[in-house]
Amino acid sequence: MQNEIVIVGLNHRSAPIEVRESVAFENSYVRAALGRLHDYPSIHEGVILSTCNRVEVVAAASDTHSAFNDITEFLAEQRAHRNSLPLDDHVYTYRGAEAVRHLFRVAASLDSMVVGEPQILGQLKEYYDTAQQAGTVGTILHRLFHRSFSVAKRVRTETGIGSGAVSVSSVAVDLAKRIFDRFDDKTVMLIGAGKIGDLMARHLLSQGVRSLMVTNRTFERAVLLAERIQGSPIRFDDFPRYLKMADLVIGCTGAAEVLVEAATVEKVLRERKQKAMFFIDIGDRRNFDPKINDLDNVYLYNIDDLKGVADDNLQERANEAEKAEEIVRNEVESFVRWMGSLEQVPTIMALRQRFEEIRRKEIDKSLGGSLKDLSELQRAALEDMTAAMINKLLHTPISQLKRNSQDDDDEDSALYVAALKRLFDLEGK
Amino acid sequence: MNAVLFTLTAAAYLIAAGSFFVYLFRGDATSRLPTAVLLFGFVLHTSALTSRFFQQGFAAVAVMGEALLFHSWLMVGIYLLMQLKYRLTVLGGIISPLAFLMTLAAFAVGSGSGEIPPGFSTFWLPLHVTLAFLGNAVFALAFAVSLIYLLQERRLKHKRMTALMKRFPSLESLDRLNYTLLVWGFPLMTLGILTGSLWAGIHWGHYWSWDPRQISSGIAWLLYGALLHGRITAGLRGKKAALLTMFGFCVVLGYFLWGETIFPSRHGGRFE
Repeated sequence: MQNEIVIVGLNHRSAPIEVRESVAFENSYVRAALGRLHDYPSIHEGVILSTCNRVEVVAAASDTHSAFNDITEFLAEQRAHRNSLPLDDHVYTYRGAEAVRHLFRVAASLDSMVVGEPQILGQLKEYYDTAQQAGTVGTILHRLFHRSFSVAKRVRTETGIGSGAVSVSSVAVDLAKRIFDRFDDKTVMLIGAGKIGDLMARHLLSQGVRSLMVTNRTFERAVLLAERIQGSPIRFDDFPRYLKMADLVIGCTGAAEVLVEAATVEKVLRERKQKAMFFIDIGDRRNFDPKINDLDNVYLYNIDDLKGVADDNLQERANEAEKAEEIVRNEVESFVRWMGSLEQVPTIMALRQRFEEIRRKEIDKSLGGSLKDLSELQRAALEDMTAAMINKLLHTPISQLKRNSQDDDDEDSALYVAALKRLFDLEGK
Repeated sequence: MNAVLFTLTAAAYLIAAGSFFVYLFRGDATSRLPTAVLLFGFVLHTSALTSRFFQQGFAAVAVMGEALLFHSWLMVGIYLLMQLKYRLTVLGGIISPLAFLMTLAAFAVGSGSGEIPPGFSTFWLPLHVTLAFLGNAVFALAFAVSLIYLLQERRLKHKRMTALMKRFPSLESLDRLNYTLLVWGFPLMTLGILTGSLWAGIHWGHYWSWDPRQISSGIAWLLYGALLHGRITAGLRGKKAALLTMFGFCVVLGYFLWGETIFPSRHGGRFE
């Protein structure tokens, strides 16, 4: 019987974290679990996907109904020893085109918590590789997953779904990249030893900034933080003197006081020969004079500005997601068509076989009865004539069927295949 | 034959401009298609100029239309060379429509005969024309770079990120490139003016004749000189430098396009 694609799973929307965790597969255990999954007679091929936001089983099965039951049971067994919150309410199931669509959307990061995040594709590839090594992938899932990878790639290159930073610190780094060409000749000054400033500084260090100065009202804390992130500590009273060396200045003291005035920056700029500066006021309270942004070659962003940019980017991702859905729609269609064509070849063969059987039976009957006196030559002519008749009879329907599957009409094609099966009773063969 | 080639060139530049705009606002960030289309236009342009050169036996640049065709050819050529090193596809979004408009304008004003009277075409004239045009083409690019700088700067100041901005290079690299172009353009312009006045000294009898073209280039030269000086000594950079670069080019371009009709000059094919 024909294979169909089924998906049973739960994700960040369908299930709370405790439920997801209870079902999650440990990395080292996935191979063994795949074997167990494959042991169910209904499951012909299978891939397990397990990340912090989702656990899914993708399978190819001939009997989708028992496949759904088996996979649900499989998932329930997997968590039996952990806890017994009911699973049924949190599990979703897809089959056929819907399942294809779901997997394509997952791969393209349309189903992610943060739409457009890039990790999911890598995870999908890993779990697919594991399944392949475990020998639970066949023609259908092979094609399905490779198709989903290329859909993801198409979505990434043809839409802006992954572009635009959506967290405050990545927005800040993104902005810094629009101001500065390179970071390995840049110096960062961090004013205040708050947690978010620490995070921001680390983010910038990972971009390869040359050096980092840390200052704090309590000098000891500056020293501690500087040690942790390989910066050099500066006494709080001294920091204005060092300002001219800083290309990026991050303020996060937590105190509501203006530490750097616009006039100071104007002076510093003259000393720096107008080399550009980027001030990031990342604390909840303002540490930098807002007028700083009015100066040439200086850019000041506070936490609200950064959040605003992040929101804009999120909005843009949502717009881009619509384009991505369109790509997914097209790709699902062509995949379903391929599935249909898989079904077509065996149907055509079964049809030919059925006709041949009838021909054989009738000829044998006649040659054993009323036509038993025919010469060798006449027998051969009879064989040829009947064979040609069958070929001619079948020629038009078969070429119509093939043509149909090449056109866009996969629904028609599936319909014809189903009709042929019924009309000539091909199912049992 | 020639007109066909120039028409095809203009068409290619128009298509290039279109594909650069598609690139700017959507499409694949790594696409090389727009540059390829522009390169194709440039090849057409080159063959059009070459075939005309062989037809007429001299490189015609004296008349406005011809000058425009030569100038746009240099501009696109320099841009394509720069693209090899700097990968500034965004810049093509300004260069292509500009090149298209210039070729179009060349059709509009017509090319005339533009033959240079014998005796005037000495060694200095082609040298003067080439240097001056090269300088102008470099400043045309500097103009485009400055324009992108100002757009990017404005968006950063106003804290509005747009999809368009993602394609823009950083302010730092735009500013550095602007400086590089100034460093190349200024000596070319200087030499262009010097060779021009040497030629004038030989054929007109005086080196400087307060010809309007001379005056406008003189102003631009002073402006660019001051900009270069300011950049080296006083840290003149960023927005102000970009604005000055654009202003300088407007002085050159403005006279080139409209000044001629108001204040006739001895440039533009009048050699008497």
